[in-house]
Amino acid sequence: MCKYMITHSLLSSWLYMLTPNEYDIDDSSYTGFWATLNREPIPVTEAMQKGNDFENLITDIINGKDVTNHEWYEAALRVATIINGGVLQYKTQKDITVNGLQLVLIGRLDALKAGTIYDTKYSGNYDAGKYINSTQHPSYFELVPEAKQFTYLVSNGYQLWAETYRRDETPSIVPTIEDFLNWLNMQGLMDIYKNKWIIS
Amino acid sequence: MIRQPNEIADKDKKIRILIAGYPGIGKSTLALSAPNPLHIDVDFGIDRIEPRYRKPFIQPKSYDEILEDLKPNNVKDFDTLVFDTGGKLISLMSLWAIKKDPKYGQRDGSLSLKGYGFVGKEFVRLMDYCFYELNKHIVFTFHAIEEKDGDETRLRIKVEGQTKNNVWEPMDLGGFMEMHGNDRTIGFSNCERYFAKGTRGIKSVMKIPELTPSTPNDFLARLFEKYNATITQEIEENAKEMTAYEEVMAKGREIIASIKDADTANAAIPLVKSLNHALTSRQEFTVAFNKKITDLNLVFDKETNKYIEAINNV
Repeated sequence: MCKYMITHSLLSSWLYMLTPNEYDIDDSSYTGFWATLNREPIPVTEAMQKGNDFENLITDIINGKDVTNHEWYEAALRVATIINGGVLQYKTQKDITVNGLQLVLIGRLDALKAGTIYDTKYSGNYDAGKYINSTQHPSYFELVPEAKQFTYLVSNGYQLWAETYRRDETPSIVPTIEDFLNWLNMQGLMDIYKNKWIIS
Repeated sequence: MIRQPNEIADKDKKIRILIAGYPGIGKSTLALSAPNPLHIDVDFGIDRIEPRYRKPFIQPKSYDEILEDLKPNNVKDFDTLVFDTGGKLISLMSLWAIKKDPKYGQRDGSLSLKGYGFVGKEFVRLMDYCFYELNKHIVFTFHAIEEKDGDETRLRIKVEGQTKNNVWEPMDLGGFMEMHGNDRTIGFSNCERYFAKGTRGIKSVMKIPELTPSTPNDFLARLFEKYNATITQEIEENAKEMTAYEEVMAKGREIIASIKDADTANAAIPLVKSLNHALTSRQEFTVAFNKKITDLNLVFDKETNKYIEAINNV
C-alpha cells in the first residue's frame, strides 16, 4: 500500500490560503500553497533569508566561530545558549493513518533537549501569541511523544522572546490533517497530492 | 547560595500575574482579591469598584510619581502591587521616556521605534524591581481588544507596539476574563480565542465565584496559595524526570565514549538496550550514537546483527 508524506509546512500553507487576508492582494497565499502542493521550489523572500541568516548565525556560535561582530550576535547568543547541548536539526517521522490513507508525518526540529522542542524564528513584527494557531507545535508533539513542551524562540535580531506551548494545551494535529484530506477530495486535488507526495 | 533543583520548593514565592478582559468585566475587583494589595490606580477608576472591595490606593499622574511611591518604605505594609491598568502605566512610561529623551518620541507625540524598545526595557526593570527588590506579588490588569484573524476573532491585550511582548515575558500567569452565560471566568490555557499563560497546575478556564456581601474577595489569594502548593509536587516530579534524564544521558555518553571500533560497538549493544530512557533522551542518545558509528565508518550488518567495518567503494 502506498504511503504519502505530510508536513506541517504543507498544512500551514493550506491554512494560510484559506485564511482571508486583506493584504494578500496578489493571491500570494494561493500561489504559495499551489507551489507547496506541487513541491515546487518556493522563491526565498527577504523575511525567509533573514530567518536563514539568523539560524546560520546561531549554528556558527554553537560551532565556536567568531561572529561577535555580527549585529544580531547578542540575540543569537541567547538562543545558542538555550539550545546548546541538545540535538540540532533533528529529523524525525511517524506513520499515521488518516481517513484510511497511510501517511508519514515528517518534521525537522531545530533543537530537541531534555523534553523540550525548540524552534527558532526570525520575526520583524512579533506579537506574543503569534504561533498559537500554528500547525508546527501540534505536528511536532505528534512526532515526539516524549516531548513535554514546545518553545518558539523568536527574535527580531536584537530581542528574544520565548513562546511556550505545553502538550496538554495543544490540540492534536490529526483533525487538521483529516480536514486537509477532505478538502483535497472536495477540490479534486487529491490526485495531485498523491502524485507529488508519494513515498512508496 | 547554591541550591539543588529539588530545593526550589518555595511555598512563599511571589507571583506575577496578568489579567486581561473587556472594560467593565471586573478586572480591578479580581485584581484586588490578591493578598493585601496596594491599588496603583493609574486609570483613575477606583470609583467604578464597589466600595467594599476597594483597597488602599494611589493615583499617580506621572511615572515619576509611581517611582517615588514605590520606595521600599512606602510599600512595606503591602504584599501585592496591583497595576491597574498596565496599558495606562505604559502610557505614563511613554510620556516619561519622551520627556527624558526626545528621540524616544515622534512629532505626533507617540513613541518612536527606539522609544518602544526603551519603554519595554523600563517595564521589565520595574517588574524586576517590584518582584526581586520589593518582594511583592504583582498583578497587572489590561484591557482586552478583539483582533480579526481570518474568520476567527481573537483577544489580545491592549498595548501598543512590541511592548506587549515585554509584558508577557516575566509573567508567571496570564489569563483572559470572559463571560460564559452569567458566569465570569478566567482562562489560563492557550486556546483559539487567546494566548494565555498557565503554569504550576493553574490552567484551563476557571469560574470566578460570584461575590455576595458575605463572601470574601479572595480569588487571587487562593489561586496564589494553590500555585505555591503545587510547586513542591511539580518540582519533585520534574526533578525526578530531570535526574533520570541526566543519568541516562551520562550513561549514554559513557557508552559512546567506549566505542572505538566494531568490537567495542558490538560490546555496547546490550548496554544500549539496557538504558532506561527519560524525557527525550532516547532521541538525543540515538543521534549521538549513530554519529559515532558513522564517524568510525561502521555499519550494522542485519544478517549477523553486528556492527562491521563499512566497505568503501572507491
